[in-house]
Amino acid sequence: MTEKIYKLGKYTPADSMSDLICNNYPMLLVLSRFGISLGFGEKTIREVCRQNGVDEQTFLAVVNLLISDNREEVHNFGNDSIQCLLDYLHNSHSYFLDFRLPSIREKLLSVLDINQDHAAKAIIRFYDLYVEQVHTHMEYEETTVFPYVRSLLSGVKRGDYNIRVFCRQHDNIESKLSELKNILIKYYPPGNADELNSVLFDIFACASDLASHNFIEDNLFVPMITQMELNVKKQ
Amino acid sequence: MSKKIRVAIAEPSEILRAGIIDMLRRINSLDIYIIEITDMNQLECVLCKYTPDLFIINPSATDTRITGKVRTLCGNNKMKSLALLHSLADSHTLEHYDDSISIYDSAEQIRNKIIKLFNVDLQKDISKELSKREKDIIVEVVKGLTNKQIADKLFISVHTVMTHRKNIASKLQIHSPSGLTIYAILNNLVDLDQVNY
Repeated sequence: MTEKIYKLGKYTPADSMSDLICNNYPMLLVLSRFGISLGFGEKTIREVCRQNGVDEQTFLAVVNLLISDNREEVHNFGNDSIQCLLDYLHNSHSYFLDFRLPSIREKLLSVLDINQDHAAKAIIRFYDLYVEQVHTHMEYEETTVFPYVRSLLSGVKRGDYNIRVFCRQHDNIESKLSELKNILIKYYPPGNADELNSVLFDIFACASDLASHNFIEDNLFVPMITQMELNVKKQ
Repeated sequence: MSKKIRVAIAEPSEILRAGIIDMLRRINSLDIYIIEITDMNQLECVLCKYTPDLFIINPSATDTRITGKVRTLCGNNKMKSLALLHSLADSHTLEHYDDSISIYDSAEQIRNKIIKLFNVDLQKDISKELSKREKDIIVEVVKGLTNKQIADKLFISVHTVMTHRKNIASKLQIHSPSGLTIYAILNNLVDLDQVNY
């Protein structure tokens, strides 16, 4: 077992932002999705959030959920927090669709020789189909779920849609990427190991990022919206 | 392999109980359900109600004959028992239990003891090689045939085709036709001009 020092309990507004990031480097992705850039010196999480116009409650909810993996009771997030989480999820979508997935494709293309190697052609085809699925998955959220939430934010409940519909059909999009990982590891013929490893690492990291993204949607976003639906109903 | 094992834990100390449960959590490949017993007066009652497969108990917390008693009382003859030892215990005490675990055991040692008790078949997972028939099916899937077309071509029922496909998916961990295409090419199962990209 590797020994690692970790903070017992949750991060609070008074903790230093650099401590948080240095001890949990995957949180770098969270920073950029909230639109926070590096270079915060010794400032606390509260100060950095305020400076960047980020809702501190949302930021900490995301960070603590990802670090601890423990789902907690979600209570009363204000409209600002929900808006902030919507922005976060939207940025997360563009990260995957516009940056992460295309960059893996580039790398795959440079490692595999699709003119000579027929398996390579099949692999790229598999990958493209997969990316198409991720597009559909995220586009549904952008065009159906998010507008619905915005309508709730403005106080009107639109139509008969509710967040449970989303909850039911929300599948884990990372599993097919794991399938590709699986195939490459088990059956790919020997070749330039360094380059192939580098793509594999990217695929591993991307699959786990996608899983985290989904985890936030299922365990923070959905409970938040469920709560909001109840509030709107009461009014 | 995922045999459901219902585990009752009778240990008055909350720290030790939490510790044992965390150890069990680290044992993958077993599907474990937990029943916590905190009040030793409730012991018989809880054991009869939930009929666990495995009973982990601190021998000093209760009468050593409890396992036998429960087995007859509730007709739960298959229930296994593990003594949870904090310190050395004499063999006379241990006779009453199927086996014992110590609070210094590692997750792996505990896992092996449970597997031994339940005779869990670990061999089953080893054979992941595809059968000839399964390979035939993959070839047809890669060509782009539907289950119905494959069934007609190989003179088997659609149901059988589906069973084969399910087995293929679980052996290879590949579920999609596009994934099977890559597999088939890398393993030379198909001629390249047959592939339906």
